[in-house]
Amino acid sequence: MLSETNAKTIEKKALVQHGILRMRQGHGANCSSIGSVIDLLFATAAVGGAVFAAISATLCEEPAEVVVAKSDQTDSVSEKNE
Amino acid sequence: MKARIEPWGAWVRSEDARALVALDHEASRALGIEGGRLWETPSTGARPPVEVHLAVTARCHAGCSDCYLDARPDGVVPEQGTLIRALDAMKEEGVFTVAFGGGEPITRPDLDALAEAARERGILPVLTTSGFGLSPSVASRLRSFAQVNVSFDGVGANYTEVRGFDGTHVAERAITRLVDEGIRVGVNVVLTRVTLSALKETVARALELGAVEVQLLRYKPEGRAASLDYLTKRLSSEQVETFPTLLRELVSEFPNASFRVDCALVPFLSSDTALTTTMLTRFGIFGCEAGESLAAVRIDGKVAPCSFAEPTTLSGEALSSGYGADPVLSRWRAAKADPAEPCASCHLRSVCKGGCKIVSRFIDREHGPDPECPRVRHYRL
Repeated sequence: MLSETNAKTIEKKALVQHGILRMRQGHGANCSSIGSVIDLLFATAAVGGAVFAAISATLCEEPAEVVVAKSDQTDSVSEKNE
Repeated sequence: MKARIEPWGAWVRSEDARALVALDHEASRALGIEGGRLWETPSTGARPPVEVHLAVTARCHAGCSDCYLDARPDGVVPEQGTLIRALDAMKEEGVFTVAFGGGEPITRPDLDALAEAARERGILPVLTTSGFGLSPSVASRLRSFAQVNVSFDGVGANYTEVRGFDGTHVAERAITRLVDEGIRVGVNVVLTRVTLSALKETVARALELGAVEVQLLRYKPEGRAASLDYLTKRLSSEQVETFPTLLRELVSEFPNASFRVDCALVPFLSSDTALTTTMLTRFGIFGCEAGESLAAVRIDGKVAPCSFAEPTTLSGEALSSGYGADPVLSRWRAAKADPAEPCASCHLRSVCKGGCKIVSRFIDREHGPDPECPRVRHYRL
């Protein structure tokens, strides 16, 4: 049986994976035009799903340092992430 | 992990996962990210860039015949303080990546300090170099960069085709030295009619030397490349039509490499009916993001929509106060939001955003649909 902690972790990963709107892979080091990795475009759905699952798991393990762009800053946004 | 609040959720970057991910509200909340008023009453204004291309010098000794910046041995070198203030402004706006370019960036003795300055501000520094001057000691000072791309358009005559001289040995030595330092290395390959036909050999050689990523770049008529020679060097219409097929072959034949296309190559995907907007969006493909997710800070310190475009009057140091309202940037955004046909009815429009405006301005003398896009070409026949 799953412990409550494990169940919450699984639920969290599922929420994150389900909520991925777009994923840009790699760092990209070109200085003149913006690049996009195309490997997954031509991969099977299973491979794409596996990559999304792996990235979701990584995101769930790392603490987030939240930034609000200065041009967006309002007290309410900043306070909620303190 | 760094997250920037967006009206639709948050951009989240993990260096460990080597990914920048857009998450919706619910997924963001699952990670403890709250958007406050920006989620409650989302603004419809322009968003700050996620990536900035920073020209750190106009000095370069290579003398490439097609340099888009027209870099020279006596080119301008901005003061470090000016660049640091630009990095400060990027930090304020939550920019994720800064790509150092030029000119030849490694001619700056303080390049490692600039990379460290970017990291201290939570911005991931990456670098493009020709490899000229990249001695072992210079390579050892580039460890702060998350990735370094070396210009490598091919071997021998293929290198010469783009740059006007054969610098193959310089690029190859640079790749090896960077790999020896444990630095993640990619190669930039400019696609011309000649280099495209030898692309698989170029890729194989780059991987053999230790590169792990191949960035494919469309040849663009800007700087020293803005001449009639462009018409003979650009990809043929047949090469453009079969470009998606070539990408499939590359991904299949080189499974250990990662392949990137630049923003200007995205319209060439329109000939592949198997590729949908949903797929391109989900896998993070960026078309013309000039003045949107992408900004450039030119050698004169002014912000431009992209490295090839005209400057605005906005200083890089004032990114947070003027990016949304700048009239030049606003014109670029407005043109993409309301494009002419055949872009208006194109299924890839929301991703492609009309193709490369640098090309359309050179060929058509107007800021319109990319004339080399297969769909645009068929529409005009």
